[in-house]
Amino acid sequence: MARYGMALDYKNCINCKACETACKEENGILMGADKHRIWVGTGEIEGEYPLLDLTSNVFHPSQCQHCDDAPCEEVCPTQATYTDENGIVRVNIDQCILCSYCMNACPYDARYVDDRTMTVDKCNFCAETRLARGETTTACQATCPTKVRIFGDLDDPNSEISEVLRTREHYSLKAHLGTKPKLFYLT
Amino acid sequence: MEVEISRRKFLQGTVAMSIVGSAALSTNLLSNNHDSHGSSAKPGVVSFHNTKTGSDKGHDVATLCEMCVNKCAALARVENGVITKLNPNPMFPKSKNMLCARGNAGIQALYDPDRLKYPMIRIGEKGEGKFKRVTWDEAYNAILNGTDKFPGLSTILEEEEDNRSSMLFCAGEGMAEHTFKQFYQAFGSANWLNHASICLQTVASGYGVTLGSYPQADLENAEYIIMAGANRAEAIVTPDTMDLFKRTKGRGAKMICVDPRFTNTAAKSDKWLAIKPGTDLAFVLALTYVTLTEELQNNEYIEAHFNDYEKYKNSIIENKYTPEWAEPITGIKAEDIYTIAREFAAAAPKAVYYPGRRSTFAKNDFQLRRAMAIFQALHGAIDTKGGLIFGSKLKLKPHEGLQPLYEKAQARAVIKSTDKEGHQGYDDCAVVSGGGSWIGWRNRFLEDKMPYKVRGMFCYKHNPMMNMPNTQKTAEMLRKMDLVVTIDTMPSDTVMYADVVLPECTYLERTDPVKTFGGVEPSIAVRNKVIDPMFESKPVMEILKGLTTKISKPLFEISKKFDEEIQDMIDEDGEEETYTEFNLTLPFLHTQEELNHHVVSGYPGAAEKLHHDGVFYPNQDTYYKQLAANQFQYYPENKKSYSTRGGKPKTPSGKVECLIGSFASKGIDPMPVWRDEYEFSVPKGKFKLLTGRHAQFTQSGSSNNAMLRDLMPENFVWINKRVAAEKGIKFADMIEVSSSIGSTRLKAYPTEKIAPDQVFFIHGFGEESEALTWAYKNGGNDNAIIEDTIEPVYGAAAMHETNVSIKKV
Amino acid sequence: MALRELVNKIVPIKEDFSIKSLLGFKKTPLNVLVSFMIVGLILLLVWGIAQYLMHGHHAYNVSREHPWGLLISGYIFFVGTSTGLCIIASLGHVFGIKEFNHIGKRTTLLAIITLLPGFIIILSEIGHPVTMMIYNILTPGITSAIWWMGTLYGLVLTFIILEFGFALRGDHKWAVRFGIGGLIADVAAFTTLGSVFAYLVARPIANGPFIPLYFLLTAVVAGAFFMFMIYGFKHKLNFPKEVEVTLIKLAKILGLLLVVTMFFEWWRMITAIYGGMPERADTMMKIVGSSSFWIEMLFAWAIPFVIILVSKGKAIKALFFAAIPALISIFLMRNDMVHYAQMAPMQMLKKTEYQLAPTWIEYFPSPVEWAIAVGALGVCFLLYYVAEKAFDLDEDEHH
Ligand SMILES: Nc1nc2c(c(=O)[nH]1)N[C@H]1C(S)=C(S)[C@@H](COP(=O)(O)OP(=O)(O)OC[C@H]3O[C@@H](n4cnc5c(=O)[nH]c(N)nc54)[C@H](O)[C@@H]3O)O[C@H]1N2
Ligand SMILES: Nc1nc2c(c(=O)[nH]1)N[C@H]1C(S)=C(S)[C@@H](COP(=O)(O)OP(=O)(O)OC[C@H]3O[C@@H](n4cnc5c(=O)[nH]c(N)nc54)[C@H](O)[C@@H]3O)O[C@H]1N2
Ligand code: SF4
Ligand code: SF4
Ligand code: SF4
Ligand code: SF4
Ligand code: SF4
Ligand SMILES: [Mo]
Repeated sequence: MARYGMALDYKNCINCKACETACKEENGILMGADKHRIWVGTGEIEGEYPLLDLTSNVFHPSQCQHCDDAPCEEVCPTQATYTDENGIVRVNIDQCILCSYCMNACPYDARYVDDRTMTVDKCNFCAETRLARGETTTACQATCPTKVRIFGDLDDPNSEISEVLRTREHYSLKAHLGTKPKLFYLT
Repeated sequence: MEVEISRRKFLQGTVAMSIVGSAALSTNLLSNNHDSHGSSAKPGVVSFHNTKTGSDKGHDVATLCEMCVNKCAALARVENGVITKLNPNPMFPKSKNMLCARGNAGIQALYDPDRLKYPMIRIGEKGEGKFKRVTWDEAYNAILNGTDKFPGLSTILEEEEDNRSSMLFCAGEGMAEHTFKQFYQAFGSANWLNHASICLQTVASGYGVTLGSYPQADLENAEYIIMAGANRAEAIVTPDTMDLFKRTKGRGAKMICVDPRFTNTAAKSDKWLAIKPGTDLAFVLALTYVTLTEELQNNEYIEAHFNDYEKYKNSIIENKYTPEWAEPITGIKAEDIYTIAREFAAAAPKAVYYPGRRSTFAKNDFQLRRAMAIFQALHGAIDTKGGLIFGSKLKLKPHEGLQPLYEKAQARAVIKSTDKEGHQGYDDCAVVSGGGSWIGWRNRFLEDKMPYKVRGMFCYKHNPMMNMPNTQKTAEMLRKMDLVVTIDTMPSDTVMYADVVLPECTYLERTDPVKTFGGVEPSIAVRNKVIDPMFESKPVMEILKGLTTKISKPLFEISKKFDEEIQDMIDEDGEEETYTEFNLTLPFLHTQEELNHHVVSGYPGAAEKLHHDGVFYPNQDTYYKQLAANQFQYYPENKKSYSTRGGKPKTPSGKVECLIGSFASKGIDPMPVWRDEYEFSVPKGKFKLLTGRHAQFTQSGSSNNAMLRDLMPENFVWINKRVAAEKGIKFADMIEVSSSIGSTRLKAYPTEKIAPDQVFFIHGFGEESEALTWAYKNGGNDNAIIEDTIEPVYGAAAMHETNVSIKKV
Repeated sequence: MALRELVNKIVPIKEDFSIKSLLGFKKTPLNVLVSFMIVGLILLLVWGIAQYLMHGHHAYNVSREHPWGLLISGYIFFVGTSTGLCIIASLGHVFGIKEFNHIGKRTTLLAIITLLPGFIIILSEIGHPVTMMIYNILTPGITSAIWWMGTLYGLVLTFIILEFGFALRGDHKWAVRFGIGGLIADVAAFTTLGSVFAYLVARPIANGPFIPLYFLLTAVVAGAFFMFMIYGFKHKLNFPKEVEVTLIKLAKILGLLLVVTMFFEWWRMITAIYGGMPERADTMMKIVGSSSFWIEMLFAWAIPFVIILVSKGKAIKALFFAAIPALISIFLMRNDMVHYAQMAPMQMLKKTEYQLAPTWIEYFPSPVEWAIAVGALGVCFLLYYVAEKAFDLDEDEHH
C-alpha cells in the first residue's frame, strides 16, 4: 500500500482559494467560516505605505499534516481517528464520540466539527471520494491554478513527490513537536 | 400561479435573520426545492448542503467554465442527473488543467435557489421588481404586443415608422454573445453596446492602432515583466496567471509590479512601485526617454518595422521626459526608472510590458496604451518568444447569418460635432468603436440628445445597473425605456427594471457556439451541455428561436407598411420570396450542436473529439502528453506559435505606428505626450476611489454565489491604517463613502496596502435586487459613487477619476 | 413496603425516612430559600440539558479553536472536589489519622454526590455518550488519557458506592477495602484527568508534569473547603467538640497544602516566563495579567492561608466563611485552567481576507453551558439532602 504525502511549492500560491472551494465541492463540506479542511493563511504586511516589506507577505496553504506520529490519533479514546493503510490519518465517524480531544491535541488547527454528523472532520486526502474511485490526485491539487501541490506515494522512490523531496529543500511545520508531518513545504 | 418577487419589508432584523427569512422566502416563491442544495442546519446560519461526490467512476461531460470571461475547460461530474463536481479538464492549453475558486463554485450558480426559473412579465412599477410568472408564449406575446403596463415591439415600431434602431441591443461577454448578436443583426438595429467601453476598449484600441492587434504576452518565457495596472493574481486571466506565478520569486521571471495598491500580484513581485493613479503615461514616457537617450533600443527592429520613429524620438527628447521629471508626477523614484529601463532592455526580447485588461483608469488611458505598445516595440519584443506575441488561430468555417437592410433603420445613435478648435468628432468621444460608448450613449439618451427616439432595449447576460459608473443614471435610463427585455440567469439589479424577463439556463445546461482560441498553442474548444435545463429556462439560442418565430411575421408586416424598398421587392419578387430575406428565425433554425458540427467540419474527427474531450487541435493525439502530475505538453516546443510574422506588426502598413496623423483633426494627440491636466491630485480630506477585482468574485455576476460568499462574505473599503487611526476608524466599522453623485456603505479595512489619499473596494457588491438572497445590500456598490467620466477618444468609462469622502456611521 | 424492605436489606435506611419526610423540613426562611435554590438549580440543569438534546453542541460557545469550555471545567471541578473528599475520607481509615475516623461515612457520601453531577456534566459535553459506552469497550484507545480517565472514574464510582454501602451496613472491613480501592482509583483518575492536558504537546502551557500534580493538590484543597462548607451548614457553626477537633486538623492540613500549591504555582510561573519560549511565556504573562488569576490567588489561596496561619488553624468559623468564595474561585480556576490551555491560537495567520490577525482566543460560556455547569450543583445539594434524611451518616465508633 502507499504512504501518501503532499509537497507544497508554496511560493507559487496566489491565495486564490480554488483549493478550498474544490475541497468543499468534492467532499461535500459544510459551508461556514469554521468549516474547512484546507486554508491559506496570510500575515499582515509590514511597513508603511509605500515602503512595504515584500518578504513579509506570505500566502501559506495548509491542511491536515497527516502526521506519521499523530497526536490526534494518540489521544482518541475510541480509536475513531486512525491511520489507514495508505498512511492517511482519518476519522471513522461511527466511532467518534465528539469528545473534541483531538481538536485540542492537533497542533495545526486542522480539525473541526461537522455539524451534520456532529463528529470531527478534517482533510483525508480525498480518501472517501477521489482515492476511493481509484484516482491519484486530490481535488485541491488538481484544481490549483499555479500548481502548488504535488501529491503522491512517499514509499515509492520513483514517485514525483519522492523525487521532489530528494532534490529540493523543504521543511515541515512545527517539526520540533515530533509529529512527523507528511506535508512538505518546498523552499 | 402568480410569482411575485415582492419587497421584503418585514425582513429588517439582523443580517442573519434576514438571510434565513429570505432564503425560505425565495425557496417558496421561486421554488427550488433541490433537497441536496438548499437547507439550513443551524438557525441563523444559511448553509448549503453541497453534495459529496460518490465513490464510483461516474460520468464526466466536457464543458467550458463561464463563471468569467476566461472559458477554462472543465469536466463536469454527473451523478444521478446532478452535477456534483467540476474538475479541470487538462487537455486545454489555455487553462492548463486548472479551475479557480469561481470555476469550482459554478455548481452553486446552477443550483442557486434564487435563479430565474420562469419567464416573467412586469406587473408592478418599473424597478419595483414585481413580476408575474407566464408561459414562454405569453412572454413572447408581451414583447410583441405589450401589456397594459408597457408597449410591445409592434407599437414601438409602428410609432417609430419601422426605425429598427429604436431598439438598443446590449450584451456582456460570453460564448453565446455571438448568438444574441445575430438576433441584433437580423432585427436590423444599429445600436449595439457591449462591455468593451467599460472594460478593455482603450487597451484593445491603443494596441490595435499601434501594433495592429491586441497581443498576448508570452509569460511562460519572458524573463522580465512590467506588470502595470493589471492584477493577475486576483483578476485571473488564463493562461497568464498560471504561467506567471510559477516563474516569479526568483524562478526565471523578474516582475516589477506597478500598482497604487499592494495587490496579491505585488506580493509576488520582485519590486512593487506604488504609482500615483493615472500617471502611468509619465512613467512609460520616462522609460522611453531612458531607452532612447541611452541607446537601448533595438535599431534593427526599428529600421524594419517602425513608422515615424524619429518624430517620436524627438518628441520624447525635446519634451525632456526624464526620470527626474517623472519622479514627482508618478511618485516613482528616478533611479528606479533608470534601472527598470536598463533591465528591460537587457532582457529584451524576452521582456514584456504587460498590456493590461480592464484598462480605462484615467482619461489619458488610450495614449498610455499607445506609449506602452511603442515602448515594447522599441525593444523588438514583438512576435517573439518571451515578448508580446500574435500567435496563431485555427480557422472555423463560417456559417450564414442574416443581416437584412431596412430602409427606415437609422444609423447608430451618435451625434457628430465640431469642437471650438474645429476638430471633427462625435459628441461624447472622438472615435466610435464597434462596442460603442456605453456611458456616452446612456447619458445622451437621458439628456434627450438622441438623433431619433430609442424606446426599448434587449439586454443579454449583462448587468448595466451594476457595471456602469453612476448607477442612478442607469436606473433612470431603464425607467425611461418603454420596453426592456432581459435575458439573464439571475434576478439581477438590471432584471428588476425589465418589462419582460427571459430566463436563460446556466452554462452547464447548454451547448454554446464552438470557439477557436488563438495564441502560442492554438486550439478549438466547446461547451457541451452537461444536464438538461432546469425549470423552464432555455439556452439563448432556443429563446431567440421562439421569440423570432413569434415576432418575425408581424414585424415584417410593419416594415411592409413603411419600407418602400420592401414594397418594391415584394412587387418584383413576390411576398414570400422577399420575406425569406427578412425572416428573423433563419439564424436559429438549426440546433447549436448542428451548427458546431458544421463550423469544425474542415477538421476530420474534430466534432467527435470536441464532443468527448471538449478540446481539439490538429495532431493533438501525438502532441498532448502528461509530463508530470501538474504538467502537460500541448505542443512540442518547435510547433508553438511564438513568432508567426517575423516580428511584423499587424497594422495595415505593417509598421509600428508612432504617429497617427488622422487623429490630429479629431483633437487627439497623434503621438503620446504628457499634459499637465493628467497630473494626479486629490483635494485635502478627500480620497481617490480605486476599483477592481477579487480572485473569488466575478464582477457583479457571482455575488450571490453561496460558495464564494463563504470565502468572503462581503467587500470592505481599504483605508490607509494611519488615516483610519487619525479618523478613529477601526476594523469593520461601518463607513459611508460618498462622491458628488451618491453614497454607499460598507465596512472598513484599515491597511497599509493603500496610500493615505486613496481608498479602494472590490467591484460587484451591494446589489439592490431583493430577489438576490445573499447579494442584496451586501457590502458597497462602487458604481453608485463612481462619476461617469468619459475617456475622450473611445468614450470608455474612466473609472478612477472620482474623489470621495469617508465618514464613520 | 416491599421496596423499602428490599433496600433495607442492602443498606439500612432511617426508619422515619419517607417521601413525605423529605418535604417535612422546618420552614425557616433560610431553609425555604435553600430549597428554592435547589429546585431552581435543577430546573436550570433540566433546561440546559433539554437545549443540549435539541441543539447539540450548537447550544455551546465552543469553537474550532476553543473546543473545550465551561462543561469541561465544571466536570473537573466536581470530580476534583470528589477526589479531594475521597482522600479526606480515607485519612482516618486508611491513613490512621484518628480524628478523621468519625467523618468517613459522610465524607464518602460527599465524594459520591459531587462525582455524580460531574458525570452529568461530562455526558452533556460528550457529543455521543451512547457511542462512547460502546466503543470505549469495543475499540479502546489505550493511548488516550481520556479513555483511562473515563475507565478509572467508572471504577471510582463503583468502589466508593460499595465503600459507602458497606460503611452503612457497618461492615468496616469491606468498607476499608473498597475505600483503599476507591482512593487509588480516584487519585489515578484525577491525575489522569490532569494528564489529558499534560500530554498535549501542541499546548506548551499545559504540557508537562505540572497539571497532574497540581490537580492532586488542588483536589484536596477543594475537598477541604467543601467539608468546611457542609459542616458549617450542618452544625450552623455550632461545632460539637469532636467535629471541631477534626476541622482544626483539616485546617492545618489545608494550610500545608496551600503553601505547597503556591510554591508549585510560583515555580511553574517563573519557569514558564523565564526564557520567553513562545506560546508558553506569553501565555503565562497573559495569565498573570488576567484578573481572574488574582481573584483565584486571593480567595482560594491567600485569604484562607492567612486565616489558618494567623489562627494556627483554629479559626474554623472564619474558614467556613472563606470556604464559599474559595470554592467559587476554584470553580473559576478550573475554568481558567481549561481556557489557558487553549488560549494561544494554533494558527497565527489570517484565513480570510477581511479579518483581524488571530490573537488570543476568546471564550465566554453560553447560557446553556452556564445552566448545565451551575445547575448540576442542584443535583449535588438535592442528593445530600436526601441522603441526610435517608441514611445514618454519623460514624458509629464501636464497629
Ligand atoms: N466600478 C466598476 N465597474 C466595472 C468594472 C470595475 O472593475 N469597476 N469592471 C468592468 C468590466 S472589466 C466589465 S467586463 C464589466 C462587466 O459587466 P457585465 O458584462 O455586466 O458582467 P457582470 O457584472 O458579471 O454581469 C453579468 C450578468 O450576466 C448574467 N449571467 C451570467 N451567466 C449568464 C448566462 O449564462 N446567461 C445569461 N443570459 N446571463 C448570464 C449574470 O447574472 C449578470 O447579471 O463591468 C465593468 N464595470
Ligand atoms: N477573479 C476574477 N478574475 C477576473 C475577473 C473577475 O471579475 N474576477 N474579471 C475578468 C475581466 S472582465 C477583466 S476585464 C479582467 C481585469 O483584469 P485587471 O485589469 O488586471 O483587473 P483589475 O482588478 O481591474 O486591475 C486593475 C489594477 O490596476 C490598479 N490600478 C488602478 N489604477 C491604476 C493606475 O492608475 N495605474 C496603475 N498602474 N494601476 C492602477 C488597481 O489597483 C488594480 O489592481 O479580469 C478578468 N478576470
Ligand atoms: S489553489 Fe493553489 S494558488 Fe490557489 S490558494 Fe490554493 S494553493 Fe494557493
Ligand atoms: S495535522 Fe492534526 S489532525 Fe492531522 S494528523 Fe496531525 S495531529 Fe492529526
Ligand atoms: S472527537 Fe472523535 S475523533 Fe476526536 S478524539 Fe474524540 S472520539 Fe476521537
Ligand atoms: S486532499 Fe482532498 S480532502 Fe484534503 S484538503 Fe485537499 S481536497 Fe480536501
Ligand atoms: S478563470 Fe475561473 S471563473 Fe474564469 S473561466 Fe477560468 S475557471 Fe472559470
Ligand atoms: Mo472586463
